[in-house]
Amino acid sequence: MASIEFVRVTKSFDKQEVIKDLDLKIEDGKFTVLVGPSGCGKTTLLRMIAGLDPQTSGSVLINGKDVSRIAPGQRGVAMVFQNYAIYPTMSVRENIEFGLKNNKVGKAERTELVESISRAVGLYDYLDRKPSTLSGGQRQRVALARAMVKKPSVFLMDEPLSNLDAKLRVQMRIELIELHKKLGTTFVYVTHDQVEAMSMADTIVLMNKGVIQQEAPPDRMYRQPSNCFTAQFIGVPPMNIAELGANGVKYGFRPESANLSAEPGDELFSLRGRIATREMLGSETIYQVRSGSGAFMIKCREDLFAVDQEAYVGVPADKLNFFGPDERRIEARDSSYRDYLEALRGQRHG
Amino acid sequence: MDKKRLGELFRPYLMIAPAMAGICLFVLYPIIFLGYLSLYDYNLMNKAKSKFIGFENFAEIFSRGDFYKSLSNTVIYTAGVVVLTLLLSLVIAVWLSKKSKFNVFVQAGIFTPHVVSIVSIALVWLWMMEPNLGFLNYVLKALGLPPSQWLQSSESALMSVILVSVWQGIGYYVLIIVAALQSISPSIYEAAALDNASKLKVFWKITLPMISPQLFFILVIMTIGSFKVFDTVKVMTGGGPNNATNTLVYYIFENRTTNIGYASATGVVLMMIIALLTFVYFRLLSRRVHYQ
Amino acid sequence: MSKAFQYTGLTLSYLLKTAILIIFVFPFLWMISTSLQTYRETLSYPPTLIPALPQWINFVDAMSAGPFPTYAKNSITITLSIIAIQLLVMIPAAYAFAKYRFAGKNVLFSLVLLAFMIPGQVTFIPVYLMMADWGIAKTLLPQIIPFMSNAFGIFLLRQYFMQIPEEIVEAARLDNASEFTIMRKIMVPMSMPALATIALFSFVSHWNDYFWPLIMTDSAAIRPLTLGIAMLRETEGISNWHIIMAGNVVLVIPILVVYLFCSKQIVKAFVYSGIK
Repeated sequence: MASIEFVRVTKSFDKQEVIKDLDLKIEDGKFTVLVGPSGCGKTTLLRMIAGLDPQTSGSVLINGKDVSRIAPGQRGVAMVFQNYAIYPTMSVRENIEFGLKNNKVGKAERTELVESISRAVGLYDYLDRKPSTLSGGQRQRVALARAMVKKPSVFLMDEPLSNLDAKLRVQMRIELIELHKKLGTTFVYVTHDQVEAMSMADTIVLMNKGVIQQEAPPDRMYRQPSNCFTAQFIGVPPMNIAELGANGVKYGFRPESANLSAEPGDELFSLRGRIATREMLGSETIYQVRSGSGAFMIKCREDLFAVDQEAYVGVPADKLNFFGPDERRIEARDSSYRDYLEALRGQRHG
Repeated sequence: MDKKRLGELFRPYLMIAPAMAGICLFVLYPIIFLGYLSLYDYNLMNKAKSKFIGFENFAEIFSRGDFYKSLSNTVIYTAGVVVLTLLLSLVIAVWLSKKSKFNVFVQAGIFTPHVVSIVSIALVWLWMMEPNLGFLNYVLKALGLPPSQWLQSSESALMSVILVSVWQGIGYYVLIIVAALQSISPSIYEAAALDNASKLKVFWKITLPMISPQLFFILVIMTIGSFKVFDTVKVMTGGGPNNATNTLVYYIFENRTTNIGYASATGVVLMMIIALLTFVYFRLLSRRVHYQ
Repeated sequence: MSKAFQYTGLTLSYLLKTAILIIFVFPFLWMISTSLQTYRETLSYPPTLIPALPQWINFVDAMSAGPFPTYAKNSITITLSIIAIQLLVMIPAAYAFAKYRFAGKNVLFSLVLLAFMIPGQVTFIPVYLMMADWGIAKTLLPQIIPFMSNAFGIFLLRQYFMQIPEEIVEAARLDNASEFTIMRKIMVPMSMPALATIALFSFVSHWNDYFWPLIMTDSAAIRPLTLGIAMLRETEGISNWHIIMAGNVVLVIPILVVYLFCSKQIVKAFVYSGIK
């Protein structure tokens, strides 16, 4: 059990700064997901916690203790890699107990630990198999067991599900959530998949270009994105964002927040457009509506419109978001918020 | 703590230290030593009597007929081996490139001489090429062809040595070319077939360019290897008859006890030739050869 | 194309391939045949292909023409020592070159490549003088220690190590494994094919080596088999082909037996070295 803290951490690769003066606190016992597009620095953060690529300057604290000079194997962390990094020449048992052996754990205790863990992840019958004979999902479990057996205070996971097929991924997602609940340990999980982040995290840390964009629980991240990047990274399809046409301010709304109708409604924001594309997904249909002020993605429960049909997009006031010229969110308590709402009302049917 | 960091810093150097020591001691230092020796009239018995003579050894090399003889022998030998081996191994490889059990078996058979000591090969062929009792002349006579003196005549000796070297080396090159041929994606041939290309055209325009990196590799190692030829010559002819098969390394070998400085200077010349060949090849490589 | 034509073509191709095979295998058969013939049989015309009665005595004669047990012992000692030392030297070096970043790495590695290109035929004079200087010219060492660093092996093994995913090494570090443990328990087991290739290579080339021992030895006590067999021509006289071939069989058979049983691996090893 441990909290993790980054204090003014900078990391450079070949003189190029990828992360600069970053501060972040990861709470003890929480499932924290680092998410962002590739190259955003999320894996770099994870590897700094593990000590695999130590920071260039600043310090990393685990449980309040500066670990900058502690070797990876002695930080009390365990990591699950994207490609699992299973030792191919060792049997499943040897894989799991390798860390214990290196930590000079006695044979009897080792056997007991390996057996109880392998039972827990459903690998007991495979202990003497070579990894090459296992399926992708089983290898994933070996990697997990190998991490769990060390009883680490921090679990680090680097896109551990990305090599699994879609069905197995959903199942493993649930198992990981349960595992976290059972162990109550700090989990730090890196992914580029926002669905994974939303479904598993207690706290999401969204990064872009080495900078933290927002740090919040999934629901707040979704409903109150703190800037345009967050708004458009989280959610499928992403939030519709368009220029308001005043002071460089932008407005935005989620695809499912809009109502699509044949006649203009009485929402604060209303817009006339033409259906450009239609994607029928079963439980919902996604339309792209083109109008004078741009194209908007609208998600509807019902499938009432056809391509080329004229339709009205309506969004109620409480579902609207505003972002300033610096792309930051303008909160409802802000004095200018009301002005922007009115400005939008003035553009009805535009 | 700082001790640990220092240890981490030095660890890689420590790990390569034995290997680097071996390389420095037995390759780099000897090269320098060789250069040093080449400038001396070196006296093996009494080092104090060794005399610095500058480039005199080199001047002597380039004024001596027997050096030019051994150089030209080496060049002819190299050219003969390279051309014959390349052509024959290419033909055999194309012919054996289809994956079948029999082809693999034949490849393994052709490769056999390559794993056997050159001493053995040389002895066997010495016996095969025996002018009176040897098997080769028996075959020639049986076919109604005139027998040859093989290694015993200065006219045919070098050719005979070339023959043996080609026979010994060809299996390795066949293997490499076969592997290269098999690594060409079949879809390229299918595309060519759809484009209605003739077999010959496919070979010249597709197969040959695709395997040119491997052919180039073969060319390089074969040329350099041929320039170092020694064992066959030593066992089969002893450089004779009448210096007809005296090659560069054999020449150095002969002079190594009587005139160390001179032999070393010849060694420097050999090294220069090999360096030059390597350099020229890699310059060509960067321009000509097709890579995917 | 008619069926008959196809069959003829196929048969012809088989026949030609067999002919080629014979060209490459026959000299060995003839060697074995001669080694079992009497002196008279070797002189007969047309040549004797199958000896009337196998003359096993030829082998006894050949082996008593010199201290062959010593030669054989030397060959084995030299070859095995070289392989053992090379592996010990090569593994840590290849690991450092593959997985560490350190100042001067590229320069040092290019020295390895340079060593790869400099043949013994260039360096033998100074190395011999060094050995004499060190006072070890009369031991087996001059045939062993100059080969301690196998530049080709380091190069090949480094390539292999580089293909091992970085994450596996990192996972081991997180498992608190020392660098030595990583090398011994992870890198080495994972690169067994490459190590076998390199060892096989070393075995074949040093067992067969003629040039280097010729330079480095001047007494029977330290000579390997290749030299002993080559010297049979001098001790037995050049016309005693049955004895010379018997000695030759002794030299070739171990390698041929190895080749017969693992030709696939050996062929693969050689091809692998050529393609990389």
